[in-house]
Amino acid sequence: MELTAQAIFTGLLMGGFYGLVAVGLALVFGTMKVINLAHGELVLLAAYIAYAVESQTGINPLLAMPIAMAVVIAASLITFYLTNKIKKDRELNSLILTFGLGIVLTNGLLMVFSADIYSTQSAWFMEGLVIADSLFSMRSEMLAFVVGLCALGGLYWWLNHTWHGRAIRSVSSNRDAAKLMGMNPTKAELWSWAIAGVLAALAGVMLYVTSVIHPPIGHSLTIKAFIITVLAGMGSIPGVLVGALMIGVIEGLTTTFFQSSLSELASMTVFLLVLLVMPSGLFGKKAGH
Amino acid sequence: MLKVENLSVNFGGVRALQDVSFEVQTHEVLGLVGPNGAGKTTSFNVLSGTVRPTAGSVTYEGHDILKSSMHQRVTFGIGRTFQIPQPMHELSVRENLIVAQRFGRPDGKVKQERIDEILESVNLLHKAEADAATELALTERKALEVAKALATEPTLLMLDEVLAGLETTSKKLFMQTLKNIREKYSLSMIVIEHDIETIMNMCDRVVVFNFGKVIADGDPEETFRNPEVVRSYTGEVPA
Repeated sequence: MELTAQAIFTGLLMGGFYGLVAVGLALVFGTMKVINLAHGELVLLAAYIAYAVESQTGINPLLAMPIAMAVVIAASLITFYLTNKIKKDRELNSLILTFGLGIVLTNGLLMVFSADIYSTQSAWFMEGLVIADSLFSMRSEMLAFVVGLCALGGLYWWLNHTWHGRAIRSVSSNRDAAKLMGMNPTKAELWSWAIAGVLAALAGVMLYVTSVIHPPIGHSLTIKAFIITVLAGMGSIPGVLVGALMIGVIEGLTTTFFQSSLSELASMTVFLLVLLVMPSGLFGKKAGH
Repeated sequence: MLKVENLSVNFGGVRALQDVSFEVQTHEVLGLVGPNGAGKTTSFNVLSGTVRPTAGSVTYEGHDILKSSMHQRVTFGIGRTFQIPQPMHELSVRENLIVAQRFGRPDGKVKQERIDEILESVNLLHKAEADAATELALTERKALEVAKALATEPTLLMLDEVLAGLETTSKKLFMQTLKNIREKYSLSMIVIEHDIETIMNMCDRVVVFNFGKVIADGDPEETFRNPEVVRSYTGEVPA
């Protein structure tokens, strides 16, 4: 029983972090109907910036956040600019463009930082926390979980209570109707890419303090974010949280009771089963709605 | 107020509009009529900015609107409804209007009293907090479409078959609502409609389209007696 509770607890913590990784991709898809296949690489770019700052200055990697945000927002906006240049079949052609940008970023990181594996040198992040006398986690895992929940909650609030947020929701809902209400959809899209950059930077710094980084994992992060976004129902923020927690718990349980190498297989199986029953995802709108 | 001159639109080999010219005067209601595929909605699409014309010019109160984007035209005072209502999903009826006011008005100010007044004008005040996409009947969705356009405070309102699909009683009530709105907000209107009775009832003038060309322009009663207009409705191809 204790083992199960620990597995679920660890899975939920992982899920909170996965939600943070996925939500930027979901936001951009919701607004622009573009699947940014370089999203994981943007997360990884932020992680490497945290590493560079820590290794060069010896300061806490969390303090690298402003630099990581500035760089990743810029990279995200460049991706937006290039994607926006595609005039024909943007949904499809942007897949090739962003996939290519992901490869460029991965190889850029490989050239600058080599293929070595890095993790934070600060022992503080690795120290243990005991919750309710029996549930264990590292400080960094709890931090990533809390940051993930706050980011998703903050984004949800922002989308529902600010004009820019409402504009993004309107463009996401119906681009032509939004234009007829006087909205400039490009401005709304620009905001969504900038916010996706902020979220990717947060996720990247959290990745660096919770895990190890090396260039190829950007691609895995993109796939994970994509699976969660589809599972959520494309573009749904509450769906991202539920989907991410679900994937995290499945992986946690599989790792504990079977083996870690089967965890992705298990989450992918559940993902396919959910789509079989709910083709629009957990919180997706039905076709024609 | 609105001047359309020598407008042409080609879709590949199809000439959807050929040398179309017409005007709308201040406070006038102009009906665009003609058989399906005649070019009425294409004209609307050019005026609202969803279609780029091949040739021609459109000026609205001194603005060359063909140089402006779709959202800029809204701030010039051109409002439009779609034939199939397009509410914003996940937004309430009131939120739809708030967003339209915030972004569609040049000063971007949201006036709750004005929103309530518009909702009352289109008989939607009791549904103000309802989900726009899922909790409205067809007539209400059409009313919301008009209300959204009104929230941007237009001086010219373009209504694309706003009465289509409504049963007779709802249609009459809705027509009266539109007449009241016109008076209340001193609007000019362009109305696309198939129902001749509606056109006769609402419009000061009609422009008749056939095969992408304007074949008549004038007083509704006289125009519907024009032999060429009658031929276009009976299906005969004009010489």
